[in-house]
Amino acid sequence: MKKVLALGLAAAMCMGFAAPAMADVQIAFSQIGQESDWRTANTDSINGTIEAHEGWELIYDDAQQKQENQIKALRNFITQDVDYILFTGVVSTGWEEVLAEVNEAEIPLILIDRLPDCIDDIDYVAAFGGDFVEEGRRQVAWAGEYLKSVGRGDEEVNVVIMEGTTGASAQTGRTEGNLAALEEYPNLKLVGQQTGNFTRAEGQAVMESWLKSIDKIDVLIAQNDDMALGAIDAIKAAGLVPGEDIIIVGCDSVKAAFEAIVAGEMNATIECTPLYGPFVEETIEALENGEEMSKEIVHPEEGVYDMEGGIDLGTVTSVAAADVIDERIY
Amino acid sequence: MKKKAIDFSVITRSKITWAVVAEILILLVCFIIRPDFFSISIQPSTGVLYGSLIDILNRSAEITIIAMGMTLAIALGGTDLSVGALVAVSGAMALKLMRWDVLEYSTPGDYTVYPFWMAILLPLLTCMLMGLFNGILISKGGMQPFIATLILMVSGRGIAQILTNGKQFTTMYSPFRVIGQGHLGPIPMPIIIMTVVCIAMAVFVRKTAFGTFVESVGVNKSASRLSGISSDTVIIIVYTLTGLLAGIAGLIYSSRIMSNDSNNAGINYEMDAILAVVIGGTAMTGGKFSLIGTIIGSIIIRTIVTFVYYFGIVAEATMAFKALIIAVVIILQSEPVREYFARRSEKRALQG
Repeated sequence: MKKVLALGLAAAMCMGFAAPAMADVQIAFSQIGQESDWRTANTDSINGTIEAHEGWELIYDDAQQKQENQIKALRNFITQDVDYILFTGVVSTGWEEVLAEVNEAEIPLILIDRLPDCIDDIDYVAAFGGDFVEEGRRQVAWAGEYLKSVGRGDEEVNVVIMEGTTGASAQTGRTEGNLAALEEYPNLKLVGQQTGNFTRAEGQAVMESWLKSIDKIDVLIAQNDDMALGAIDAIKAAGLVPGEDIIIVGCDSVKAAFEAIVAGEMNATIECTPLYGPFVEETIEALENGEEMSKEIVHPEEGVYDMEGGIDLGTVTSVAAADVIDERIY
Repeated sequence: MKKKAIDFSVITRSKITWAVVAEILILLVCFIIRPDFFSISIQPSTGVLYGSLIDILNRSAEITIIAMGMTLAIALGGTDLSVGALVAVSGAMALKLMRWDVLEYSTPGDYTVYPFWMAILLPLLTCMLMGLFNGILISKGGMQPFIATLILMVSGRGIAQILTNGKQFTTMYSPFRVIGQGHLGPIPMPIIIMTVVCIAMAVFVRKTAFGTFVESVGVNKSASRLSGISSDTVIIIVYTLTGLLAGIAGLIYSSRIMSNDSNNAGINYEMDAILAVVIGGTAMTGGKFSLIGTIIGSIIIRTIVTFVYYFGIVAEATMAFKALIIAVVIILQSEPVREYFARRSEKRALQG
């Protein structure tokens, strides 16, 4: 009985693997998992684009935040001899061996989002990811330029930086950008720096303590919107008005941040877009047409959203959140 | 003279004493660095007590409540690793019932789709059932508590994700806000809930024979059974209770942020709760337990976190700093150190 069952299962698996071979272009995508709304929007964008494209077949693997699952998925993709592999790594190290196998199999590799540390030692056809340093720079620059625009450019203001999970690429990059930009605005004085682990609850607890230990806080730079949203509650509990008494700049541009900005409780959010679908589509179409791609890491075009718009940050000018809130899909 | 010396050595031998000493030492350091750490006032706009010491009590509520149940689980010689995941389940379920379908109710607001009592009771009931599941696996299934509760620890967050389709729901329903951000008079609501839970637990284990049953089963399961205690029933009750308490903590957590956060809610809470119990003087081997010790242990953990935030310990050093203080507390409590101090005080008393 057991043997029959095993045979049946094996047959089913063979058929399962054989079926996609009928399609024209097979695109395999090894995704980290579903850890946040951002990630969900990222998956939906990429998968949606591929599925909607005529003649393209999606082979999707959700690794549930485990590196071993991703390695297994990549090896499966090699066995299935897919046409393209899209890859973002849950961690930055330990990919040398399996990516070398992908190279050996001569399957074009497209790196997205979290790029592996071994990026210089492997062959890839295109790389696309957020520029965390630039996002960090924009956060502080927005605060500096905004203060200038309301005539507080010379006033000395106290700034606190609420960092993400220590060691995460988004935290190291944004902190680097934050600190570099602070040098350019001498009136911004750094008075506090602490991790809020990218979560609302810890953002709230850290802000609560800061409000007691630091005499005057004028600007909060939170390295993601969730921490900013948590901090808003702590600011209210301390009898202050978020968005007025304390200027709050978040990052990511999730929908809840837009709602907070429209409600006047948050000042700005720097976008970190998860919508990679169009890039993936363009790249694969170009490769299918035999075009050569640049190895340069491509950064997505991202906006800055605030209450009124019109703050010029050099590389980008802010847009009023209220104007675009209805278009936001994540 | 001699009698007094013996009394003193009893105090130095007690683990609770050293937990209290550790807490006082940490607070003393705070006081030396910044005396205003201790300032407590009434926040004029909200009428609520305001100060770092209040924050410590307020934010220790979740761990204290969970650790009450964990104390009994550890006294039984077991442990419950699933509590952190149950915090996530409880919050996800409450938010699900209040928002139900985010496509239909697309903007968060001051409303609830299902009645409020359901949004409170169903998560608690679910967590109780999950605790019951743990208890049955351990007692009737004869599984190791570590393994049995690992099942829900791993799958619990998945269940929470499924409940909300992997999304983070936000609500602005004001009665729900009361649980985590409200206040009764000048006292924040989590402190009230925590106090009620602690008193109820103390009455339950000390005014009935249940506490003795737990200690007895923890020391020797077969001997307890032979003396007429149904160890299976005791185990099932304890794990069901632990599940319920994790559910309460989950409601407080999600009410504080007015949303569910299935990835982060209650993360590492099982470890913090176990730590609180151990700092409080209950041995991992089971047997005698102390609820008061656990409360102090939980407060110590939160004091360290608040210390880090308040004095701006650099983010990179935060973990190492916490580990250092906890290591010192645990060493202070260890058998040889306590023996050493007890013997010294005895000697001094004899000489005097």
